Amino acid sequence: MSDIEGQEIDANMHVPLPVSTQQTEEDFNFQKFDTKEHERSGYLGNYTKETLSEKLANYYSLDELSSYLLKNPQFNRMTFQFPDSLVMDSSFVIKIVEKKLNESDPDNKRRLWVLADTAYSACCVDEVAAEHVNADLVVHFGDACLNAIQKLPVVYSFGKPHLNIDALINKFKETFSDVNSKVCLMASAPFTHHITAIVSKLKELGYSNLICSVINTNLINDNVTILSQNQIDPANATLLQTLGNRMLYSDNKSILTTSNDEDKSIEDKLREDVSLFYISIPQDPHLLYLTTMFNDVFIYDNSNDSIMSGPFPSLMKRYKYMHVARTAGCIGILVNTLSLRNTKETINKLIQLIRQNGKKHYLFVVGKPNVAKLANFDPVDIWCILGCGQSGIIVDQINEFYKPIITPYELTMALNQEVTWTGKWVTDFEAALKDVEEELATGPKEEDNITKDESDAPEFDAVTGRLIDTSRPLRSLKHLELEGPTSEDKTLAKRVSGGTVIKGTVSTSVAHLQSRHWSGLGSDFKTDEEFEEEGASIEQGISGVARGYGFDRHDAQKKE
Amino acid sequence: MRGLMDHVTNVRNMSVIAHVDHGKSTLTDSLVQRAGIISAAKAGEARFTDTRKDEQERGITIKSTAISLYSEMTEEDVKEIKQKTDGNSFLINLIDSPGHVDFSSEVTAALRVTDGALVVVDTIEGVCVQTETVLRQALGERIKPVVVINKVDRALLELQVSKEDLYQTFARTVESVNVIISTYADEVLGDVQVYPSKGTVAFGSGLHGWAFTIRQFANRYGKKFGVDKQKMMERLWGDSYFNPKTKKWTNKDTDADGKPLERAFNMFVLDPIFRIFAAVMNFKKDEIPVLLEKLDIVLKGDEKDLEGKALLKVVMRKFLPAADALLEMIVLHLPSPVTAQNYRAEQLYEGPADDANCIAIKNCDPTADLMLYVSKMVPTSDKGRFYAFGRVFAGTVKSGQKVRIQGPNYVPGKKEDLFIKAIQRVVLMMGRFVEPIDDCPAGNIIGLVGIDQFLLKSGTLTTSDAAHNMKVMKFSVSPVVQVAVEVKNANDLPKLVEGLKRLSKSDPCVLTYMAETGEHIVAGTGELHLEICLQDLEHDHAGVPLKISPPVVAYRETVEAESSQSALSKSPNKHNRIYLKAEPMTEETSLAIENGVINPRDDIKARARIMADDYEWDVTDARKIWCFGPDGNGANVVVDQTKAVQYLNEIKDSVVAAFQWATKEGPIFGEEMRSVRVNILDVTLHADAIHRGGGQIIPTMRRATYAGFLLAEPRIQEPVFLVEIQCPEQAVGGIYSVLNKKRGQVVSEEQRPGTPLFTVKAYLPVNESFGFSGELRQATSGQAFPQMVFDHWATINSDPLDPTSKAGEIVHEARKRHGMKEEVPGWQEYYDKL
Ligand SMILES: Nc1nc2c(ncn2[C@@H]2O[C@H](COP(=O)(O)OP(=O)(O)OP(=O)(O)O)[C@@H](O)[C@H]2O)c(=O)[nH]1
Ligand SMILES: [Mg+2]
Repeated sequence: MSDIEGQEIDANMHVPLPVSTQQTEEDFNFQKFDTKEHERSGYLGNYTKETLSEKLANYYSLDELSSYLLKNPQFNRMTFQFPDSLVMDSSFVIKIVEKKLNESDPDNKRRLWVLADTAYSACCVDEVAAEHVNADLVVHFGDACLNAIQKLPVVYSFGKPHLNIDALINKFKETFSDVNSKVCLMASAPFTHHITAIVSKLKELGYSNLICSVINTNLINDNVTILSQNQIDPANATLLQTLGNRMLYSDNKSILTTSNDEDKSIEDKLREDVSLFYISIPQDPHLLYLTTMFNDVFIYDNSNDSIMSGPFPSLMKRYKYMHVARTAGCIGILVNTLSLRNTKETINKLIQLIRQNGKKHYLFVVGKPNVAKLANFDPVDIWCILGCGQSGIIVDQINEFYKPIITPYELTMALNQEVTWTGKWVTDFEAALKDVEEELATGPKEEDNITKDESDAPEFDAVTGRLIDTSRPLRSLKHLELEGPTSEDKTLAKRVSGGTVIKGTVSTSVAHLQSRHWSGLGSDFKTDEEFEEEGASIEQGISGVARGYGFDRHDAQKKE
Repeated sequence: MRGLMDHVTNVRNMSVIAHVDHGKSTLTDSLVQRAGIISAAKAGEARFTDTRKDEQERGITIKSTAISLYSEMTEEDVKEIKQKTDGNSFLINLIDSPGHVDFSSEVTAALRVTDGALVVVDTIEGVCVQTETVLRQALGERIKPVVVINKVDRALLELQVSKEDLYQTFARTVESVNVIISTYADEVLGDVQVYPSKGTVAFGSGLHGWAFTIRQFANRYGKKFGVDKQKMMERLWGDSYFNPKTKKWTNKDTDADGKPLERAFNMFVLDPIFRIFAAVMNFKKDEIPVLLEKLDIVLKGDEKDLEGKALLKVVMRKFLPAADALLEMIVLHLPSPVTAQNYRAEQLYEGPADDANCIAIKNCDPTADLMLYVSKMVPTSDKGRFYAFGRVFAGTVKSGQKVRIQGPNYVPGKKEDLFIKAIQRVVLMMGRFVEPIDDCPAGNIIGLVGIDQFLLKSGTLTTSDAAHNMKVMKFSVSPVVQVAVEVKNANDLPKLVEGLKRLSKSDPCVLTYMAETGEHIVAGTGELHLEICLQDLEHDHAGVPLKISPPVVAYRETVEAESSQSALSKSPNKHNRIYLKAEPMTEETSLAIENGVINPRDDIKARARIMADDYEWDVTDARKIWCFGPDGNGANVVVDQTKAVQYLNEIKDSVVAAFQWATKEGPIFGEEMRSVRVNILDVTLHADAIHRGGGQIIPTMRRATYAGFLLAEPRIQEPVFLVEIQCPEQAVGGIYSVLNKKRGQVVSEEQRPGTPLFTVKAYLPVNESFGFSGELRQATSGQAFPQMVFDHWATINSDPLDPTSKAGEIVHEARKRHGMKEEVPGWQEYYDKL
């Protein structure tokens, strides 16, 4: 004891590597990322060092931005949000904008921040980060979902990426050899810049049944400004439909009237007749949404001038997950946004609905959720993710995640008494919230659960074809005829064979822990053989924090 | 009848089993007729046990049906019973089972609740595949067989065989049955071979309602010759001859002068029958009355006017009533529940043999705690509700009684798969009728109302909270043929899902689940089984129009060799590593796991012993099996071969979880793995628990398993049917050409002695079997009917990762269908470099 006492443990002291088997060939070390040469020609086209600044100013419409900022002097603390792929441009942009501001007002006191490494989805405005600096304005760069946020005003600068239109037109012709094909052209927000030009070129080639999608101008208001946007002249085209953040126009009024079913909605007609030609690669959740809206989808990959036509994320797979949720006992609500409007309301209502169904839930707020993070919580049977429909929802195409992930809309369907499936992919909170509320009103009341005898019967799981009796862990204990501690009794929990009863239900956590092979220190301490008579000898442990222990740093230094 | 149930020594629970169309239902009918439930005229037409519309239309049994019969024996007969008896009234609970291979699971469920089996064999077709299968299953469940050789009338009328030929046919059939019995019989049953001379073989015609055993003839002649009955029985079978001149018995087939003697069996047993047939069928009006008088047969009023076959039926039925012979054979030779449970108990119960419940089962004790096994669900007239059909093995079940309902996954002391509920009603199942009773003691077969929603297909009911489960049934067939179903009208979806649940309940073997693609899958044992299930689903259980995909088969993913290098995967945080190798398990081991011989639920040490003794496993390895997978019981294992790895215990749960996941969806095309053994060679773990949680280990173990798998010469396995085809010689050529076209492999071709029939046995990949029956019919002008039953998994010996190979094509096709990337990821995808 004495020789350890008083000895200062130096964090950098080299302690033998505390891994279970001895390492010989190599030690663990800090992971390092290679620094890459910034490559911008993908979106700027050809540029040189000299023209870079000018190109960027043009790309991000910085003139327009500066004049907006000058016109609105009430914004004093401004945040510029960049997605990871464009962060390298941030210093240039700030420099240019600051210069402009300083030019017009020499004692410019207005401050600019760069917001990078967005915690949730990059297409959304990171309101929380902006609030950290008490910002009064967010300027969002790059592709955006345009989803409404709680309160801050936003300026969007999508950027005006370079695109080889002729190459694209050639690919289009290859894909649709028939000039009468009904095709909707759509692009990510940045590429939407080119869309009218493309459409008019295609028209010259004889394509007559084209639908052109542009940014939904209804989303623009006092608080939302979009820089340098192409407008469609409403005189030349009719608005057919709005699809979230896009508006679909066509100059051919009869394009959707050929189907003889007059009472079909436009949406149905799109689904039946129209192909989608999408420029640039959408994120998985958005792609999934698009596949549910159109007859078929072709994606033009601008980076290598090719067409992708699948496999796309499958909606039927979601149907399966919906069934998994029906018999799940424990739902992990995964909050993958903090700024989207209605997030809190949706969470609260969802929790209410989950409870009403006798299921358990845990609430998780995880930045950039990944396989490893989610696999840490094995009592969770299914995750319900709240995130932006454009990129904030994890769509697991290769079954990489340990437990499936669904959306609030899907969870609401799953919690319906009757099996329901609409074939829609709704990611909008407002719509989902409406469903949740409806379900809350019509769903079973908790009392029903107790009185109805049937309700404690196990549920049939259509996924595995088995009966599941753990799908409603919070229901009453009647089916087991166990007695919980009575109210007069002071005890909180009562132990029964194989579990613990708390508040009138079998504790699922206790049951879960008991089902584990290893349930904590000492639980594997079964044989006397391993028992040391004198007590364990004291060993030098490790010091530091998990991110970097003493030995880690030591190794890192050694490497250098 | 309820009174009889208390005298358990006088109860006989038995199944009627046989190859398809050998006449089980017809024979059952002739027994039921005796109990007076259907009129004599309808026997052979209106099936008592084939109650479903499609059963009647197709003329085959699909579901097994139980009925109870009452029988009285004479004092003299009762004396011959070699087990405890009480009075001379007997209750026979009989289950008529389907013969078509596709419905074998119904047979399994029937066998579980019975102690004896009446094996029916067609005189002409003889012992067929399914005869062997069901007999093997019966013996495996320790069920004692007796045999009836049926359709003897056809031999006489159609084939016009001689007496000696008929004797030879009988003898051959008995011998084939005995070969099977001696191969599969369990030692504890003692000698269960069947002997005509001991009265355990009957001969007859279910259609005409007559049958006999040698014992009956021995009774007649014993008195006449003044010979002891037992002795007489022995003389009436085998190489035993009677010399009418000297009135002496001999075992030589010639007399002193070398003149041939007639076999006693032919002379005393067959002769009267042949004579009746000859006289009646040749319309010898004058001979008939003489003959009848000699045989003490009295015809009533209008019966005298009958002619030909109709007369033959009446005469034969009066001469040798089938019910007499069969009931006698059943009562005398099949065990009572008391006798049978004594030796069946340990095999029926999962818990230790000295536990109170096991002892109660052994003693068939009606006063002990209830032990009841539900073997299947029978639909009620109330849509969506079922009777739980089963057998009381101990205790007494009562209406209103509270019982513990233990599903197949129940583990004593745990709460999973356990419900405590009251039984609403106890009923006797009588074909399409049920009769409520108050209670039912151990040893009987009953139906229960009110517990169907707590069990999917089968389970254990008990009143003892220490009781283990009764062993789950193992089916001889596997649901390897599958289709995807979807509703035509989206609004019907809830009905489809509910229908799928009902369908799973109503059939012991059908599987319904969801594919990776989100399609609802129904899996059955063969095309017929699927067809019936889908029909039920569409018209009954769901009641909505359905779209049904063409059938596809389930595959398995396996390995051929040991991983060529040890597979290494690092955890996402790079702080943990798993090194492992995959290798194939022997087919014997996999089968033993699948058949429950090596049971994941058994005690580890006992299991390791079996694996070491019978399957050449290293005992240490066998003890270090961490788990079986997928679903905790599949034929893949993880073995811990690490040495002194610290914290290893802590990651065991994560490794197990990952292995279940990895084996459920293999890396080649998401099918289950089979016969893969994964040896964990070394594990490196970070010292801080936070860095080695499930999140780090589960994905890593999965990747490592995939890497090890892909490094070990991955292969895919396809299911293969054993096909048996009986046909006349001229059709054999046609069979071969169809088999050739379908990648079939002929195993054997034999002529059935004494008949023009050939039996061809072949292996046929299930994938090629769709439409096989039709093509066969075409190629043989309708003379050949195949019986197909899942036999084994066959490894397709080409690289599934090479899209041009046979296996590769299948994989490619399936990946496309499932919306996966068309290329199979290589091992590099899951392997981490150091
Ligand atoms: N000639 C003759 N035909 C019989 C006899 N017994 C049954 N059959 C006929 O054989 C056919 C099949 O009889 P079933 O009783 O349905 O046979 P099964 O064994 O119950 O058939 P599955 O239940 O489908 O396996 C029917 O056409 C019967 O009329 C018999 O003793 N003699
Ligand atoms: Mg039948």
